[in-house]
Amino acid sequence: MKQSKLLVFFLFVFFSAKSQVNNGPRITAMGGAGVALQDVWAMQKNQAGIALLTKPIASLAYENKFLIKEIATKSAVFAIPVSKFVLGASFETYGVNAYKQTQTGLSLARAFSPKLLMAVTVNYHQLQINNYGNAKAFTAQVGVQYQALKNLWLGAHIANPNSSKYGESTDQIIPAHIQFGGSYTFSDKLIISTEFEKILDSQADFKTGIEYKIIKAFALRGGVSMNPFKQYAGFGLALENLLFDFGISSHPILGYSPQLSLGYEF
Amino acid sequence: MNFKLSSRITLVFVLCLSIGYSQTKKPVKTGNANYSQNADAIVEYIIESVAENLGEDFDYTEMVDRLNYYRKHPINLNKTSKEQLQELVFLNQVQINALLNHIQKNGKLINVLELQGITGFDLETIKNLLYFASINQPTGFENFSIKNMFARGNGDLLVRYQRGLEPQKGYQIPESSKASRYLGTPDRVFTRFRFNYNNNVQLSVNVEKDAGEQYWATTGKKGPDFVSGSLYLKDIRAFKKIVIGDFALQFGQGLTMWSGLSFGKGADIFTVARQDLGLRSYTSVNEFSFFRGFATQINMGRFDFTPFISSINIDASAVFNPISQTEDIGSIQQSGLHRTQSELNGKGRVNQFIYGGNLQYKTKRLAIGVIGYQSAYSEKFAPNDAPYSKYDFTGKQLSNVGIHYNYNIKNTYFYGEAAHSVGYGFAFVNGFISSLSPVVSVVAFHRNYQKNYQSYFNQAISENTFAKNEEGFYTGLQIKPSKKFELISYFDMFKFPWLKFGVDAPSGGFDVFSQFAYMPNKVTRFSLRYRIRDKEQNSPLSTNINFLEPYRRQNFRLEAQYQVNKSFTLRNRIEVMAFKEESDIQRYGFMAYQDVNYNPLSSKFSGNVRLTMFQTEGFDTRIYAYESDVLYGFSIPAYQNQGIRFYINGRYTLRRGVDFWIRYALTQYSNLTTIGSGLDEINGNQKSEIKLQARIQF
Repeated sequence: MKQSKLLVFFLFVFFSAKSQVNNGPRITAMGGAGVALQDVWAMQKNQAGIALLTKPIASLAYENKFLIKEIATKSAVFAIPVSKFVLGASFETYGVNAYKQTQTGLSLARAFSPKLLMAVTVNYHQLQINNYGNAKAFTAQVGVQYQALKNLWLGAHIANPNSSKYGESTDQIIPAHIQFGGSYTFSDKLIISTEFEKILDSQADFKTGIEYKIIKAFALRGGVSMNPFKQYAGFGLALENLLFDFGISSHPILGYSPQLSLGYEF
Repeated sequence: MNFKLSSRITLVFVLCLSIGYSQTKKPVKTGNANYSQNADAIVEYIIESVAENLGEDFDYTEMVDRLNYYRKHPINLNKTSKEQLQELVFLNQVQINALLNHIQKNGKLINVLELQGITGFDLETIKNLLYFASINQPTGFENFSIKNMFARGNGDLLVRYQRGLEPQKGYQIPESSKASRYLGTPDRVFTRFRFNYNNNVQLSVNVEKDAGEQYWATTGKKGPDFVSGSLYLKDIRAFKKIVIGDFALQFGQGLTMWSGLSFGKGADIFTVARQDLGLRSYTSVNEFSFFRGFATQINMGRFDFTPFISSINIDASAVFNPISQTEDIGSIQQSGLHRTQSELNGKGRVNQFIYGGNLQYKTKRLAIGVIGYQSAYSEKFAPNDAPYSKYDFTGKQLSNVGIHYNYNIKNTYFYGEAAHSVGYGFAFVNGFISSLSPVVSVVAFHRNYQKNYQSYFNQAISENTFAKNEEGFYTGLQIKPSKKFELISYFDMFKFPWLKFGVDAPSGGFDVFSQFAYMPNKVTRFSLRYRIRDKEQNSPLSTNINFLEPYRRQNFRLEAQYQVNKSFTLRNRIEVMAFKEESDIQRYGFMAYQDVNYNPLSSKFSGNVRLTMFQTEGFDTRIYAYESDVLYGFSIPAYQNQGIRFYINGRYTLRRGVDFWIRYALTQYSNLTTIGSGLDEINGNQKSEIKLQARIQF
């Protein structure tokens, strides 16, 4: 069973080369619809979302893909305000011993007004396949968020617009995408967010998610994405400076991928 | 079969309009029996907004009866109960609980305007509610006496006649040919009698014959084809309900026991949380899924006990068992049609004997019920030996047990049911409804029905006929930022762990629905709807071994409704259906219609007309639309092929309590020379039908 799941996994995930960065449990639990959301995990989604952070925050996440023990994504994000800017750093490794992807990112984000946030990011990608060797590449990303109404944030994000590749020796693609969407705050308890995404040479996707804070320190989340049709859920716990989040996604064929993160606000 | 949604919007329009009207006329008072067609339109709207998954000819009488009753005898909100409010299908559990809590906390409602302050009560809900409820109506057996009963009781006699005007093949075959033919006449005749006293005594009788059936059966069981009746008594000391005759039972979420009407996924997302009504008298003419015998609900403080016993002969096809040399049950037949000799042979062939009970414990917030029953059949079930039937029920006897609950806390309502068929499998459903903010409400539920779960009276929410062999997770979202806008969406993902007919492997799929409505004023409404459904079935490319391929159905619908003047309302709909099998090209279906409703405030006449054009590429791209009909008549036809359909409905009120209806419908196909197949075949390209109905209330 595990063998066959692993095989299916390889077929679907590696060869379709759509492997994307992990957005962290909060945004994942909201269906990945995070292009107009703001927290430290925006580092992995739309970096403009870190521009309003006022304190340094670090967070670590561990995702288990499709409940297969061997396959995990480990991510770390960090953001720190420095005068008018917020600097962000991210690190992620993904795969099994025989196949490993690593991504390191640095972002520079700035709030040009309390309503307009922008960020640029440079990512360094490494791909390591046993017996085949290593490959490296740089990509760039640009993100913007704009508060159009009191309760409505709009966001847009472009990744790898020049379609950087690992080089001619490999077919592995670093996805180029455009995402845009909005998040609406209905009350201090409730946010609904949506996102449209188009990945180059792949299908378009629509995502939507909801976050509801039962009490100030505890939030429930849920979401869906349309292509393929996936459902998501999760929760978050904020205790003083400590942030704990859990998220799970359900793929129609491959099954569940749970993840959790632990963050600290300095 | 979920396309009936479509028609919903239609009614939505009607509703808005009617509300608009009555609002101008007399603000919020429901009043007694102002039997204008406006009232019917409200009821019709409600039906359309909850009925999505049922068959083309499903009979909603039970619900219409219930709503019409409350139109005439409004519920007293200050004396009402959860059970009673549940009967108003358009209220969801969060709203019901909020209302009851409000009354408990703040004392009796003094003015209906107070309703606006209750969580979850938007203006539309309040308007709907006030058609069926008020705050100072007398209720109960308070002044009961036999003399009163006849003086103050209401009788209601209704007769309907309908007939297709083109001759069908099944009626033209001579008796001498010995070939299969329709033994009766093409008329459908329905007679319905009700006697009501204050909702405490209710006598119902239905007599019906379908087209093709004999008026008076001469072979087999003699007499009219379908007779159903019941005597229903309410609130006699500890006996909250007593039914002698035909009854229906609805408990929990319908996994263990639910007969009669139920709703599935649709534009009213909150109906996925079933509101069980317990024991009811059975008043529909659907000739399946009801009981015949005796049942009662006894109240003992916080406990309610509902024992029931039933013995009924049901229709079943026969298969010969070569080993025991007896006849077994091939399949149960639900159509209730007994037109040919072979259909008549199956009529009431098998006896179904059922007894059991439901014990329920209730507090303000919590309800827990336990149900158990045993069913015995006079013959053995013998499903075919195809692999997809492997987990079907075999044998003569089955015991079912279940436990169901609901719990209300703050803005959230939790519900669920666990069911077990003894010796077979289990089934579970658990979910919640929550109003997250005054603008946003959500509903979500998880279901897991094992492949070998068995219950004949199982109507839990499912993609299949019965809730078995399915796992799924559903989430629904309603956003109403203001009176003018409304967004409704649901997302459902499901898996079928075992094979199904035409699906030779475990399969799965999803169903996503979204509807946006814009109501610039009380009498105008625009809506846009999109629905996409993916499932899998055997590929037509399969040769020796079947393999699966996905197929996708998408519906787009645009609808507009507006009022021209106080008497005329117009409505348009455009609907496109796209069907795509992976290995085939996309096929389309298209439908557009124009409605004209004439609904004057004070005239003895009212009516409506619709002209529809449709063009579909085959069966898979057929489009369903709810049509207006005579009172208690329902029609949700599937449009396919290419042509025009027209219908006209008229109603004439001779005087209070005496009404007549007429309906004529015509479909003309431009690409057919014969319509239908088998015994239903019509030679020609047009099909028409007439309905006449009269009702006397006394």
